[in-house]
Amino acid sequence: MLLKVEDVTKRFGGLVAVDSVSFEIKEGEAFGIVGPNGSGKTTLYNMISGVYQPDSGRIIFDGRDITDLPAHARAPLGIGRTFQIPRPFPSATVRENVAVGAMFGRAQADVKEAMEISDYYIELVGLSEQANKAAGTLTPLEKRLMELARALAMKPRLLLLDEVMAGMNPKDIGNIIELLQKVRQEEKIAVVAMVEHLMHAITKFAERVMVMHQGRKLLEGPTMEVLNDERVIEVYLGKKIREGAEGAEGHRT
Amino acid sequence: MGFWEQLASNLVFGILLGSVYGLATMGLSLIFGVLRIVNVGHGAFLMIGAYAAFWLFTLFGLSPIASIFMALAVGLALGFITFYSVIKRLIGAPELSTLLATFGIGLFIEELAKLVWGPDYRGYSWDTPYISLGISAISFSKIYALLASIVIAFLLFMWFKKTKLGMAVRAVVEDKEGAMVCGIDVTRIYALSFALGIALTVASGVLITLFVPVGINPYMGGEYTLKAFVIAVLGGLTSPWGAFYAGFIFGLLENGSYTLLGLIPDVEPFSLTRFIAFTTLLIILLIKPTGLLGGEEM
Amino acid sequence: MRGVHTLLIIYAILLIVGLTVPGMWQPVAFLMFYVALGQAFNIFLGLTGYVDFGYVAFLALGSYGMAIAMDSLYQTGLGAAILPIGLLLAALMSIMLSLAVGAVALRLRGAYFAIATIGVNEGFRYLIEGARLWGGSEGIIITGAMRKIFGREMANFISTMVADVLVFGIGLLAALTTYVIIHKRMGYALMAIREDEDAARVMGINVTKYKIMAFITSAFFAGLIGASAWTLKMTYVFPSDVFLITYTVEAIVIVMLGGAGTLLGPVVGGITYGLLKYYLSVILPGFQLLILAPLLVAIVVAFPEGIVGYLKERVRGTRFEGYIL
Repeated sequence: MLLKVEDVTKRFGGLVAVDSVSFEIKEGEAFGIVGPNGSGKTTLYNMISGVYQPDSGRIIFDGRDITDLPAHARAPLGIGRTFQIPRPFPSATVRENVAVGAMFGRAQADVKEAMEISDYYIELVGLSEQANKAAGTLTPLEKRLMELARALAMKPRLLLLDEVMAGMNPKDIGNIIELLQKVRQEEKIAVVAMVEHLMHAITKFAERVMVMHQGRKLLEGPTMEVLNDERVIEVYLGKKIREGAEGAEGHRT
Repeated sequence: MGFWEQLASNLVFGILLGSVYGLATMGLSLIFGVLRIVNVGHGAFLMIGAYAAFWLFTLFGLSPIASIFMALAVGLALGFITFYSVIKRLIGAPELSTLLATFGIGLFIEELAKLVWGPDYRGYSWDTPYISLGISAISFSKIYALLASIVIAFLLFMWFKKTKLGMAVRAVVEDKEGAMVCGIDVTRIYALSFALGIALTVASGVLITLFVPVGINPYMGGEYTLKAFVIAVLGGLTSPWGAFYAGFIFGLLENGSYTLLGLIPDVEPFSLTRFIAFTTLLIILLIKPTGLLGGEEM
Repeated sequence: MRGVHTLLIIYAILLIVGLTVPGMWQPVAFLMFYVALGQAFNIFLGLTGYVDFGYVAFLALGSYGMAIAMDSLYQTGLGAAILPIGLLLAALMSIMLSLAVGAVALRLRGAYFAIATIGVNEGFRYLIEGARLWGGSEGIIITGAMRKIFGREMANFISTMVADVLVFGIGLLAALTTYVIIHKRMGYALMAIREDEDAARVMGINVTKYKIMAFITSAFFAGLIGASAWTLKMTYVFPSDVFLITYTVEAIVIVMLGGAGTLLGPVVGGITYGLLKYYLSVILPGFQLLILAPLLVAIVVAFPEGIVGYLKERVRGTRFEGYIL
């Protein structure tokens, strides 16, 4: 088992953002986390990547308890992530941005190697033409791709993607999913994709999904089974669709 | 006077002075709480208040308590000018920009004061009766300072809780985007909060003169910038109320340690208390960076 | 490497002008002090994006280090060896202070760090005066000690020439150090920290470690500058002189004016500032800060990238790219 999240809880003041959630991710697995805004998904990511420490519970990565490890010590173990709102190093070039991932992630490359790794992943995500542009000048979509390249350049064993497909058209989404399947197979990376909507994309990508609702794990299991479960449709999808266009659009794309 | 009498009298002095420290720091915390800007030039604005008290008293015989109103007006004006000429342009800029800009503004005000009023130390004496507390006599002026600080802090508190504008400020602090959606002009709230913060600082400068009778000079503010930082960090940095309480704590700490340092032979306790302000700051930051009294926001 | 060439050419021109044109050595030395100060401070402010309002304390401790070495060793017969010992002590004292401040404050974010540093110089000054350390407010005068160690003529030569050459060398060394850092992993780590500290952390960068490394390096050079440009040149150290906030302001203005984080910025900023200050002190003696302060505000508001930062953007993609770094 690559990642074991055991009964973690995180509170902010009186609000329980994540309420005793447990789940496991196998090596090289494609895993989806689904849940509406505010369901605790991002907080969960922040605890796995070390931005927050959980109030209780444990996080085990590759057999090692990393609950108390600071963020910067987790990346070299092989945890890479992207952010919901992309966070490039804006005045540095795309190439430099991605190279930083290679230098300080699991790859621990020197500057020269890092540049080579950077070029490889920039090409993989299709940003070669933008390589020497300042990352701050990229379009939002390009920033997402750059973040993906940066996370991949870390040579992670666990890749946590936060809404990486948001704002993409179906063709782009198809390409991204293909790319993710490729790196999963070639580099044995477990990829976790977290989405608010885009159910269709998740069914295409993930083998297993976990549904979160109000800080709790609602359900976990094989993708189709879970997404067709009555409770999920009722509590999450159903409600969303009835609420209006937002959820419907998520379903359509 | 024996040691214990000395200590007790210094502690009383500490509480009185601490109230003014608290008021001075409220301005700093208000600005940080709302705009997330550390006003490094804090002390310069306080110095303006001290000069205002001095000139109003010397030229017109105006009592420092009456000068507070003038100081508040001057402070509001200064605050709005500073905001619209500089600070507004730096909203959303890297933190470094606002730190350097407020630092530069503070220096500029100091140098301007030196140019206009000269570098000399000035002072005035407002004769008020003394009240005997058994251990020592305390001038009424200092008690007025305490009362004035408490009244201003209370009025500010009520303004935040009861008025529409005050609530708008709190809304901006809690959720900027949300406040925008609700039709609150965030820039205006920033301007108002900044000006209000400066006004409080200038007003506290008036009250400081009741404690340092001959200490008014263009560079007097630096000391209070440092103290305000210690107090702000002690009080949680974003909370004006935390800052007000912390002012008392710091006043006690400073004047208590002054008495204790006086026991050590061959040192200058006055210089050392200033060193203590700085080390206290480092120690607080080491123990609990978000402030000892908790990060309770407005 | 072309960026270094530009740097070396500017240094060479300064050196040649100073040595060959009669009467120019002192003006060049005057500029070199500001260039060196900028180079040293740039390693911290420029590379991390953090500001240390108490930076002058490092120069001050450095100047004390040299003064203490001279004052306490002049009777030992160590002779000229006291000079390197003094430099070593200067560097050591600055590094110790940077470790103490950095270990506490650099774990914190920008604003908290800045707050923590604002009292460092005053705090130290009051400690020295209050606890009567190192001569207290009377300071240390080493004019006599230097004459005993080196003889009258050599002591004069050290004050008027060697001290300046040392500052020149320290400035150059600081610039080369900056160049090396920028091109190593450390440079990339600092860039990431400057741009987005949280993201940097998640990318695996030990932000505290790299900030402290930059801080110590910067303090090291500051200490050496204090020892050479102040103690050796003036032959005395007074706490009321060496803890002046003016020097911190000057360092900030030089770095920001030239372009924070650039290799050539401190050179351009230092020379520009030095010339500006020289003419200002003629026109408005005693009121340099009155001009400096609004200048700093203006740079921050209207020209935050500085001269070299601006030029660097302009030459991007032209054949001059790489010469300006």
